[in-house]
Amino acid sequence: MKVLPSRPDFEADPALARGPAPAMIEIDRVSQTFRTSGRQAHLALSDISLTIEDGAFVSILGPSGCGKSTLLYIVGGFVSPTEGVARVKGRAITGPGPDRGPVFQEFALFPWKTVLGNVMYGPRQQGVKSPEAEAQSRRLIEMVGLKGFENFYPKELSGGMKQRVALARTLAYHPAVLLMDEPFGALDAHTRTRLQNDLLNIWERDRKTVLFVTHSVDEAVFLSDKVVVMTRAPGRIKQIIDIELPRPRRRAELLLDPRYQKYVVEIERMIDDTSEDGLRP
Amino acid sequence: MMTRALSRLAPLLACLGLLAIWQAGSLMLNTESFPTAMSAVRAVPSILGDKESLVNILDSLRRMAIAFAAALLFAIPLGLMMGRSRLVASFFNPLLMITYPVPKAALMPIIMLWLGVGDLAKMLVIFLGVSLPVIYHSFQGARAVEEKMLWSGAAMGLSAPQRMIRIVLPAALPEILTGCRTGLVLALITMVTSEMIARQSGAGNILFNALDMGQYDTVYAMIIIIGAMGIGLDAAFERLRSRLVRWSEPGFDIPLSFA
Repeated sequence: MKVLPSRPDFEADPALARGPAPAMIEIDRVSQTFRTSGRQAHLALSDISLTIEDGAFVSILGPSGCGKSTLLYIVGGFVSPTEGVARVKGRAITGPGPDRGPVFQEFALFPWKTVLGNVMYGPRQQGVKSPEAEAQSRRLIEMVGLKGFENFYPKELSGGMKQRVALARTLAYHPAVLLMDEPFGALDAHTRTRLQNDLLNIWERDRKTVLFVTHSVDEAVFLSDKVVVMTRAPGRIKQIIDIELPRPRRRAELLLDPRYQKYVVEIERMIDDTSEDGLRP
Repeated sequence: MMTRALSRLAPLLACLGLLAIWQAGSLMLNTESFPTAMSAVRAVPSILGDKESLVNILDSLRRMAIAFAAALLFAIPLGLMMGRSRLVASFFNPLLMITYPVPKAALMPIIMLWLGVGDLAKMLVIFLGVSLPVIYHSFQGARAVEEKMLWSGAAMGLSAPQRMIRIVLPAALPEILTGCRTGLVLALITMVTSEMIARQSGAGNILFNALDMGQYDTVYAMIIIIGAMGIGLDAAFERLRSRLVRWSEPGFDIPLSFA
């Protein structure tokens, strides 16, 4: 895969410049079994292995119930896998940590805190002094386009605005990895497009590693360097597709680009093709 | 303008209306055990002006305040822990199911056998009366806290006890305070009941002594005083509550149409 322009710090370090980008996340033969209420074991994820390089934007795409969110929760440390191991920067994941910042479809903002209070929460928890945390948070709020709404409560905001706050709140504690769990799934089409554009603009500034779960093919192709297509339950990796489209990406140009259209059609076919799904137990 | 002024005056008008019906009713019935509203209202200042009565009423309030505070300190943490831990919930739930429907005043005789008729017995009954609704609402509030909110906190580095105090407690606060409001009214009820059973001091004691002695205007005046205490405490608490959980109040939630 060669989509990312080399980053300045990589050029400075000859050891890194020579080899491939270092692995940020390694998922090694991970399986997940859930006990359902009727004593049956439900296999949600089966034997997943995946390596995600530092600075890559990777989407996990699949039908609902394929365990793609579960995979994200395992990387987040919110769920521990039944089998296998997930590592971040080479260390086995044993629980949540500020190096992996989640953004959920449900926003999960703290409703008793204002926009500013929400964004400041992480830095304050990390021991950043209040005036400094506030200054940083105000900059982030401006970056996500919510300047002027610092003292609003989540209840007073629309869905799109809430998700902007959630993104700023997570970016505020500088996680190395962003874990996005269908973040735009609850938003209307127009808001969704605007947030996709803004997310890309923000991402292109500092190129954090992003693991992005979605069931929208368009969204995955538009945003990602790599799309991981999963099968229906039990979730397996069907195929990993490198999206070799130039960056920075502009939605209007991309929609007319035959390469973009080809990726979308190809992946949609792959998802419709259920011949491989659920054959093996 | 007119309707707003009218709706502000409505509670006062309702009270005056009630007193008027009372006055008319007692004049019509003309029995000794049903004094007129006028004579009952006129007895109020003389009770509040009497030093002994005042000491009694303040005694009641002191017991109620202590028992109420103790109940909150006990019931809120317990309810929150039940809401977040299946183990704790499965241990305490059956106990609560048994104690919930039992009128706490019915336990008074046993409690009096153990603790006598003094402050401790009365405060224990109030404590029990307040605890149950507060536990129940804290439990429901904690159980409803969104998992993802706790995950977000965990990712920021909050430990499990920190998540309990800094996420579960504030997130459940609206529900907890609803329980506290119910608890406050129950505190007043159990306070009067406890003093009715274990007569020694307090507002309930004045009321029932007056009844025994056939001083009916004092009886009705005490009912007015206790009722006013209830209304006053409830209104004060409601003000505090709406201040604390302004962020969750409906009516304030007109989402902005902006992405």
